[in-house]
Order: sequence, then C-alpha cells, then structure tokens
Amino acid sequence: MSRRPMNAIGRSAWRRDGVAKVTGAETYASDVVLPRMWHARVLRSPYAHARIESIDTSGAEALGAVCLTFADVPKVKYNERIVSTPPYLYRDRYVLADKARHVGEAIAAVAAPTEALAERALRALKVEYEVLEPLVEPARAMRPGAEPIHATVRLADAEVPIEGNIAVARTIELGDVGAGFAEAAVVLEREYVTSRIYHAQMETKSVVCRPEPDGGITVWPTTQSIHNTRQLLGEIYGLPLHKVNVKRVAIGGTFGSSIQMNSVIPICVGLALKARRPVKLVTTREEDLYDHVRYQTTIGLRLGVTRDGRLTAGHMRVLADIGGHNIQAYPLLSVMAGWWASLYRLPAMKYEGRAVYTNKTPSCAMQGFGNPQVSFAVESLMDELAEALAMDPIEFKLRNYVGLGGTFWGQGPSVQSIIRSDGAPELLRVGAEKIGWSARPAAGSATGRYRRGVGMARGFHTSSAGAPKPGEVIDYTGALVKINEDGSVDVVHAMMDHGGGTLDAIAKIVAEELGVPADRVGISPVDTRTTVYDVVTHATRGVYAGGAAAQRAARRAKAILLDYATRVLGIEADALVIEPDAALGQGVIHCPAVPDKRITVGALAKLCQTNSWGSIAAVESLRPVHCPPAFVTYFVEVEVDTETGAVTTTRAAIGSDCGTVVNPDLARGQLEGGLSKGAGYALYEDARWDAESGELLSRGFWIDSKVPAMSESPPLAGLETFFATTWEPTGPFGAKGIGEAATNPCAAAYANALANALGIRFRELPITPEKILAALQAAR
Amino acid sequence: MRRMIRIRVNGEWRELSVAGNALLLNVLREDEGLTGTKYGCGIGECGACTVRIDGEPVLSCLTLAVAVDGCEVQTVEGLAVDGRLDPLQEAMLDTAAVQCGFCTPGMLMTARALLDETPAPSEQDVRDHMKGNLCRCTGYASIVRAVLEAANRDGGPEMAPKPPALGAPRRSRGAPRTP
Repeated sequence: MSRRPMNAIGRSAWRRDGVAKVTGAETYASDVVLPRMWHARVLRSPYAHARIESIDTSGAEALGAVCLTFADVPKVKYNERIVSTPPYLYRDRYVLADKARHVGEAIAAVAAPTEALAERALRALKVEYEVLEPLVEPARAMRPGAEPIHATVRLADAEVPIEGNIAVARTIELGDVGAGFAEAAVVLEREYVTSRIYHAQMETKSVVCRPEPDGGITVWPTTQSIHNTRQLLGEIYGLPLHKVNVKRVAIGGTFGSSIQMNSVIPICVGLALKARRPVKLVTTREEDLYDHVRYQTTIGLRLGVTRDGRLTAGHMRVLADIGGHNIQAYPLLSVMAGWWASLYRLPAMKYEGRAVYTNKTPSCAMQGFGNPQVSFAVESLMDELAEALAMDPIEFKLRNYVGLGGTFWGQGPSVQSIIRSDGAPELLRVGAEKIGWSARPAAGSATGRYRRGVGMARGFHTSSAGAPKPGEVIDYTGALVKINEDGSVDVVHAMMDHGGGTLDAIAKIVAEELGVPADRVGISPVDTRTTVYDVVTHATRGVYAGGAAAQRAARRAKAILLDYATRVLGIEADALVIEPDAALGQGVIHCPAVPDKRITVGALAKLCQTNSWGSIAAVESLRPVHCPPAFVTYFVEVEVDTETGAVTTTRAAIGSDCGTVVNPDLARGQLEGGLSKGAGYALYEDARWDAESGELLSRGFWIDSKVPAMSESPPLAGLETFFATTWEPTGPFGAKGIGEAATNPCAAAYANALANALGIRFRELPITPEKILAALQAAR
Repeated sequence: MRRMIRIRVNGEWRELSVAGNALLLNVLREDEGLTGTKYGCGIGECGACTVRIDGEPVLSCLTLAVAVDGCEVQTVEGLAVDGRLDPLQEAMLDTAAVQCGFCTPGMLMTARALLDETPAPSEQDVRDHMKGNLCRCTGYASIVRAVLEAANRDGGPEMAPKPPALGAPRRSRGAPRTP
C-alpha cells in the first residue's frame, strides 16, 4: 500500500443516495407497501413488573383481527444481539413476553386490514395481570429477597440462575493495585453518575414481513445487520436460512438502537406467518421511547498519581442499570474496562463491573457503547488531578496516555492490538491553538452574571472489533465486486449505512483500488440471499472493516482484469496500471512505458463477455486482525448564565484522527453530529422513570427527552473541525474509523468547561440549569 | 364518515374521498403514495412530516385532510421540477446536510418556506425558523450552511410562490380555487 495521490478517496461528492433522500424517493421500512398487506399493533404492558394470568383474544378476533400471544410464539429463548460469540450470549427473552418486565413490554399483537381496525382490535384484547413489586431502581432490585426479574437465563446450552437480579458481573485485575496506590503522592476518588438517554433516532422501529409460497419469509426491517436478523429469525421460527430473506432498506438513524434485532421484528414475522399475508408494523414514538435507551451507569473511580504526574494505579467500580432484558451487559462490562485501560497507562488496575436487571426499558448500545460513560468519569478526574498537581491537563494527559506502540483494547480484554497510528498529540496541539487554550481563565476566576470557561477532553473509539484471534466478539465481513461491460462497477456488500456515508466510503475505496472514476461505482441493493455475511455496522467498523473487505475483493477483480488485459495488449500484468480517465468516464488500462498499448476497462470487460472468457468479479471475506483507535479531542467554550443556569456553547474545536479521511464533508458531519449528541448528553437529555410505577415521567412525549434542536447548535463561526494527518497502516488506504469516537469525550469536555467557568465540578449527567443553580447556591 | 375533498398536490388537482378523521400525513403517504413525507412522532414534536399548505409549513401529522380542502399542498416530491433539483436540494447535497435522510423532507419544506418569505435570512433567522425540525445525525450545522448557501445562489425555484408583502393578509383556507 502506498501513499500515492488519490483519485476518489478524500474528495467530497454528492452521496450516492443523496438525490433519493432530498426528493423523498428513498425507501425506509415504513415506506414499504405490498399487495394484500395488513397492519399490526402491539399490546404493551402498563405495569413495570407483572405476571400475565390470561389473555382473551376473542373480542379482537370477532373484529376480524389475527392475534398473537405468548401461546402462539415459538418457545425459543434468544438474545437479540448475536455479536458476542455463543459462550457469551445471555438469552432471556421470547418473541412475546412470558412476564412483563417493564412498562411497554410487548405482551400480545394483532394484525388487521387497516391500522385503525388493528388499533380497535388491540383495545378489545383482555389481559389479566398479577402485579408484582416494581423494581425500578437498582438498589431495590438488588435488595435481598427481591423478586427475581428473571429467575434463570439461557447461557450456551444451560439455564443458569440469576442471583440478586445481577445479570452479570466482571472483575479484571492487573498488577499490584495496593502497591500502586501506596506509591502515589495524590489519590483522588470520585463517583460519577451518567444518565439513561434515549437514542432519539428519527425513524421509529418498523418492519414489513411477507410470507412466501415456499414457506419462507421476506423481511424489510429497521436494522444495523441484515444477516444477524436473518439468523435470529431462522433460529426462532425454525426456518432454513435460504428461506429467510432480509432486505436492506434505508434506516432513519439508529445510533446503536438497531444493533440488536428490534423487538417488533419477530412479532411482525409471527403475525405474518399466522395471517398468511404481508404485515406491516410501524411503532409509535411512544412505543419507541419504551423500547431502547443508553446504559445508565454509576462509576466509582479512584486514581493515584506521583508528584511528577505519573499514574500509578486505578480502581473503577461500575454499576450498570440494564433494564428488563440483558441485551449486551456482558460485553458492556468488558468494553468499559477496555476503554478505561486504553485511555491512560495504569501499571496496576482493578475493575469491578456489575450489571443489574431493573423493571425499566432494556438498555443497549448507543454511540460509543460504554465509552461516553467511561470518558466522562476518567476525563473529569484527570482534569481534577491535573489541577491538584498544578499541571496543565494537556501535559498531564500526554504524559500518561496510551499512544503509538501501546496496547489498545478495542472491545474488552479479548480484543487487543498494538497502536500503529497516533494523532493524539497533534489533535491536542492544534485544538489548543484553535480555542486559545493558554489564554483560558483560571478555574472559577470569572465573575458577573455571564461566565465563560474552556474545557478539554480527549478519547477515542475502536475501529472494528478486530483482533488476532476470535475472542468474545464476532467481527467478520465480506464483499463482492464485479465489473460491468461498460467499465462501471457494482459493489455488493451487506453492510448497513446509517447515514454516515459508510457505503459511499466503500465505493470510493473500490474506485481507488480499481483505478476507475468514483462516480462509476454503484452500491447494489442487497438482501441476505445475495450477499456474503457482514456482522453488523457497529464498533466504528464500517470503513475500516467493511471497506477493507471491499478493497480485497476489488484487488482480486483487478487481478482478473489485468490478466485478460495481458491477452489483449501483450504486456505483462505487473507492468499495467489502471487510471481513471475523466473524459472517457471510466478506467483506462495502460503501460506507461508502452504508450500505444491501452484499452478501457469497459472495452476489455465487453471483450471478456463477447469472447466468453469469463466474468470479472470477486468475492472476499475478512476478519480484521487489528482494532486501531480513532482518537478524538474536544475543546469547548461555554457561557453560563448564573441567574438562570443556562449553558450556551459559544465555541467548539473538535479534532479527529481517523487516518485517511475518505469522505471529508461527511466526516465533518460526524464530528458536528457527535458534538450535538454529546452536548445533549452533557447538558439536557434524560429519560427519567417514576420510581414507583416504572413509567417514563415524560409519558411518551419525545420533547421531554430534550434532544438538542437547531437553536442549541453553536454558531457556525464558533464551530471548527479538523483532522490529524495520520496514516493507519492496517486500514484501507490508511483509513480508520470516526463515527462513535466523534461523541465519546464530549460530555467530559463540557464538565471540564463548566469547572473552568464556575470553579464547580459536576459529576452527574445531565448538568441541567437546575443543578447548576443549586451548585452556585451551595458555593455561595 | 367519508368526505370528498379537492386538493392541489404538487401542482395537480386531486379529488379524494377521505375519512373525516383522516390525517393529511396518512392521506399523502397511503392514498397518494407520497411516502417522502415522514412519520416521526405523530404529535407535532419533530417536524419530519412538514409539508406546505398554500406556502406555509404545516405539520401534516396534526392536520386533518378535510381541513385542507381547496388548498395547495406541496410535499418534498414537488420540490424538483422536471427532474431539476431545487437549489435548496442541491445545497443540502453540496454541504452534506443529508445523513440518514429521515428529517430531510421536513427540513426542506420548512427551509423552502423560510427562503420564499425571507430570501436573505441571517443565521439566527434560520435557527429560529427551523428549531421545530429535529435532526439527530448532523448536529444541524450542515443544514444551517445549506439554507444560507441556497439563499446565496442566484435564481429561485420556478414553482416557489412569490413572497407575500410584509403584513399582507394570509390567504384564506378552505375555499376551493379553480386550477
């Protein structure tokens, strides 16, 4: 791989699905309409914790509806997120609940010719519950003698008991922690509380399912993984996979909320199979609010440091509130340890994580998967330690951070690799210049009603879950690249693009590898029957892993192409190059030393077809064996109105080390979007539950989760994004990831900026005006 | 109970039989097949369903179809003319203001209405006018850039209504007009 000038990568262009999206022509799951299609509605538990005594469907059936209850669904316990390897998959749910474990849990479902009739049928269902004590808060759920939310769960081939509602616990200890703290001159211990925010993706979870005449099904779902959805549906409904076809449709945002197969997908399949006709299920916003949230955590963190600013030991205790189902608590506890271990070098560390079931909406990954939580705690405490040592936080962090040559835990302890590209120092230097770091006020020195402060936090996310050997997490992907008879190219890739431009990046990587113009590379519409496996678009792996697989396939297709070119041109394949010709609109195969020998890719492909030489196509799969960190640094300036507690973002400088920037304009968009979601996490957003009833205090109103609006985004003049000039040797054309990294350190940067502005540390998210006013009052 | 209504959808008069309680959003999506208009919340919180009624941005999830009898309805499908994108659509693509795309139709309709009334809005005008349209992907910066960029470009869209004079009375609703 060389750093030659590039034709496709690094150039901005209209995204391939852009015209469809600005004209309303793009198809999302909820836009799919099929002949004879019925509509479904789901009956959801009004109780946080209840046994289901009986369900009477006669009223609904009298209206002509088809009904689905626990009695109808296969008794297959599953885990909806099959990204962990089988020994680490905790299975605790059925298609419809055997017991209500949170308000909004799906109890029964109906399908009818119209949505209005389905809604009437839903209201005609009669369910008798035995209401149990709602265990809404972790402390209550862990209390001795508390009712088990799940008595047992399925792990591998065994039912394992759940004690004290602790779904899973994990302890990791490295080095001599006692000796490490003894060596420290300064030891600080703090507790951080992070909030349980809602993904707030624009599209509610939706699905259409059509039963096929051969007994199979075709499914159009909201998902981040068509193949994992297929495998789960095959497992639950006992269908051979060649009869389960899952179509890729555009998804209206997800941010982690569709890594798992969404709960409505198998419900819709069950209804369609029973009704023997296509069924569409589009959830309401209120239902969606009760379907998924970010993991709420309480993090106890203790760090020891020498007088000269060298970390000696750390102890982290994590309590994660996972809600009513264990979607991915074991990997969460693993990755949180990994993010912590990879931020700063700790000669000795002890990590104790516990995940507790509660009677609330199940938690799942949300942009960063445990990383925003860990980064909030670690970057806040590092700032405080620097203050205690009277050191510049940048200098203190640079002295301790895990950089080039260090070990990075990309997905917990089983996914580790050596860092080969490191833009962290550059990001800190450039960001500090842009924000005017050296001129920031002394902490708490500002006076008057409006007080400004500057804060900084750094971090990263992994690029993929790649590692030298398969561990606890699957990372596998593949692509088919074929060259058409006019020199254009089809890329057949199962990967989902959530909107960040993953598939555009993949097209550019293929164009670059083949030497054809980027606008002659198309992304094929796909489904599970026409693609090789890709695990899921998560872990910031789209470009790094998905792009690498496409590059590998393109490289082999190119070798086939050049082999045929040798036949036609009489020049050795190794002497031939392919370069895009803008005037011809395709690649030209030629030998620089023999200028008269040249042929276009299209002419050669046509010759291959007319002469029956063979197809120019290649399919390749790969498992990444590295997981390079994509570093990100945030500098933010806030202004606090000390009379109202309102916080305004006046300036922000966000730097990303994503290696080679493949889509410059979309990469900027990732950072700007990361700031918005991070600011929401830091300052506004929360999904609060009534501790007694287990209901959302918002009662299903989206506005109450306080997603930032356009009025909250910082002024354009104050917003800067920039990229480190790095090259990742293991990535496609030097690229690594960006997406989740873009938000991870943001909340800590805000907390540090507020500490700078007010001289007050906030350790509980969100840092609302109420909390700011209370803290100002207390400080007076 | 069903009622006949007559609405001009993206320039074409349509006579439709609609239920008295049918929402404009559902009539557009299901009866007219105009699925570009999106359901995001159903209760006016997110703006994804925004269409223009006689030039005004309106939440179609909160609007009864019978209430727009006789009106001009423009959806995202009506922005491009003869396959030529509206300058605002082009600006959205040029500034990479489209990610997942689910908020995009509503954003476009709200922004087009702003630009037709205020051809040279300030950044603050854009933020004030569009704060009812949620987007979770972009952080809004690229959308603000797109609207300001579209305002900068020469030549407006052919279909856009002339901006009414300040203080001019709003056109009345409900009275059928001839095509």
